[in-house]
Amino acid sequence: MIPAFVPLKILRYGFRKKYPAERFIPPAKDLKKSYDVVIIGGGGHALACAYYLAHTHGITNVCVLERGYLAGGNTARNTAIIRSNYLTPEGVRFYEQSLKLYREFSQELDFNILYSERGHFTLAHTDAAVRTSRWRAEVNKQLGVNSELIYPDEIARLCPHLNMSDKVRYPIMGALYHPPGSIARHDAVAWAYARGAAKLGVEIHQQTPVTKILVENGTVKGVETPRGTVYANRVMQAVAGNTSMVAKMAGFRLPIRTIPLQACVSVPLKPFLDQIVVSGSLHVYVSQSSRGELVMGGSTDPYGLYSTRSTLDFKEGLLGHMLELLPMLGEVKVLRQWAGMTDMTPDFSPIMGLTPVKNYYIDSGWGTWGFKATPVCGMTMAHTIANDSPHDLIKPFYLDRFVEYAQVGEKGAASVGH
Amino acid sequence: MKIMNCPLNGPRNISEFVWGGEVKPMPDPAATSDQDWAEWLFLENNEAGIVREWWCHVPTSFWFIAERNTVTDEILKTYPAGDVFKSRVDFAAKAEKQS
Amino acid sequence: MNAIAPASHLRRSFIYRLLAASGAEFGEVNGGAVALHYGGSREAELATARRLGLADLSVLPHGGFKGKGTVEWLTAQGLAIGPDSNVAYKQAGGEWAARLAPTEIFLLDSLAGTGALLQRLNAAWQWAAAAPRPAQGYPMPRQDSHAWFMATGAFVPEMFAKICGVDLRREHFAEGAIAQTSVAKMSAIIIRADRPAKDGRVTPAYHVLADIASAEYLWTCLMDAAAEFDGKPVGLRALRDLEA
Repeated sequence: MIPAFVPLKILRYGFRKKYPAERFIPPAKDLKKSYDVVIIGGGGHALACAYYLAHTHGITNVCVLERGYLAGGNTARNTAIIRSNYLTPEGVRFYEQSLKLYREFSQELDFNILYSERGHFTLAHTDAAVRTSRWRAEVNKQLGVNSELIYPDEIARLCPHLNMSDKVRYPIMGALYHPPGSIARHDAVAWAYARGAAKLGVEIHQQTPVTKILVENGTVKGVETPRGTVYANRVMQAVAGNTSMVAKMAGFRLPIRTIPLQACVSVPLKPFLDQIVVSGSLHVYVSQSSRGELVMGGSTDPYGLYSTRSTLDFKEGLLGHMLELLPMLGEVKVLRQWAGMTDMTPDFSPIMGLTPVKNYYIDSGWGTWGFKATPVCGMTMAHTIANDSPHDLIKPFYLDRFVEYAQVGEKGAASVGH
Repeated sequence: MKIMNCPLNGPRNISEFVWGGEVKPMPDPAATSDQDWAEWLFLENNEAGIVREWWCHVPTSFWFIAERNTVTDEILKTYPAGDVFKSRVDFAAKAEKQS
Repeated sequence: MNAIAPASHLRRSFIYRLLAASGAEFGEVNGGAVALHYGGSREAELATARRLGLADLSVLPHGGFKGKGTVEWLTAQGLAIGPDSNVAYKQAGGEWAARLAPTEIFLLDSLAGTGALLQRLNAAWQWAAAAPRPAQGYPMPRQDSHAWFMATGAFVPEMFAKICGVDLRREHFAEGAIAQTSVAKMSAIIIRADRPAKDGRVTPAYHVLADIASAEYLWTCLMDAAAEFDGKPVGLRALRDLEA
């Protein structure tokens, strides 16, 4: 029984002036005529870049333009997994730096992102997958990343809920085990960067789409919005999903296809699944959030689309495979479903850095691997903008690698087969 | 499930088809530069709107062309590739470089 | 025909172990081990075939021809092939010539399984000695590429409705119709080839052809889908009895 006076006490507490609600971002002002840097897009990557521009490079006359609301795109639609056990040395170095930044994130930005180290299992169900896991483990270890190929006995010990039976279509033959694999609260990552950037003077304007990009003699001059023209010395786009459309306004094409990626969560359950479990053959990844929901995703949709609709086919496929891995979930219900629009590149690596337009920078090609890269993207893109020269970590991800046939083939490390 | 009309086999579940990407005019491989070839190979218009694409009906390996709206997820029409490509295109082999 | 051990025959089905586990008794047909029946009474197995039966015919002769000139050449060899693709044409000896595409024919032997037609065609076909070679197609070996199952009985369309997107009910899928489609998520060819009995009773029957490497998977899926309708494996004897 709740005593009758408790609601009154809560009400009184709520009206006290002693603990005012924190406003993360100052109310929007009018747009200025010009800025040092304009960032198109208001997701995690864009806000991280704004933060590092102000924090590390002292560039505070920065404006973030978001078409909708803050972090309402793929930042809100990913499955919040963080790991660095990639396949190529370029990829491993890059994501490892991101993981380091994530570990210190809550401290540095004074914002609890519920960073939770879980251990990441990439299950292998075929000889070929075991071989790729071995390859990845060796590349990872060479670069100082904690990663090891383990076999069914150890998998069963570490992750006792998995169905280790060999009477299924794809028995588990091994796993790439990556103890630092983590999850975090994705919205909090964007809010923390937004607050950090705003404190340092960055302006964040929501509900402000960019309708035109002003380019003169191959150099960007600014952007047009329904709220007026904004001039800028430097402009960056970080708009995964709509990347090609924005780049088209700047006047260049990209090797990107926009493909939906769907996900869903179950009703909340008591905590039972500590690990992050991924299966490439079964097109499944799953982890349990701090709320108890099972966060589940699979492979991208089978064809390109600028839409965040969900389909029954996807869930039928995903959940069929989920039940093969975790049969005791048979009675559990799906609570929410959603989709994001991903930038799929031919080599499964991002496209970052300089563009054919001078002073115009791009952070794109975030297929299904963007959330985990948020801090390192912000850090390296801020460096790139401040110096008009790509940061060492992102040099391999330059746009012209395609016409120079110097791709960074990361397909073997995409979390599920695409 | 979404239904696509195969010009050969009639309406079928979209899971029977594989998406082949934009219809792009292929440069003559013997005459084009590496750069133009790479652009043809990799660069995409990735249009938000009506696009013309290759699709394949997997059980019959039949390639055809579909016009589709990538914003509304509507298939507008499908037709055999022969409606667009009227004649066979032959490419001369590139002359061997003399060493 | 006396019962034989399938392992004693080089020509046996990829799924003979599954069939044996279901109680199949094998006999020799055209040099291969074929599941003839499943041990119970002949009448009971025939009744199953009329309700919902699944048979494995993978060992029976099947093959094909493909390429420009194929239909003209086969016609010259005495086959009756109509103009439409995705239609199977029944031959005088009970064989089926399935026209998968304008220039592609998949040949299924009759349930007698003598292989006579395929042997004759393969012997007759030869590459012309000198250019210009006439357009006569070329042989397309299918014996070891395609598993061949047959589903019979009144409940077949309902069973397929669970694992295939094409409507196979008799009013929508005529005798001889071909669907090249997806069955249990794998590509397959379905051909309707009903079994009429002498008393005029017609049992719906469908040939199913699919990648032989996945034969075990597909058979298991079909059996699983059939269980709801009390479907069971049947042998070649019951299929033959359907036409008795």
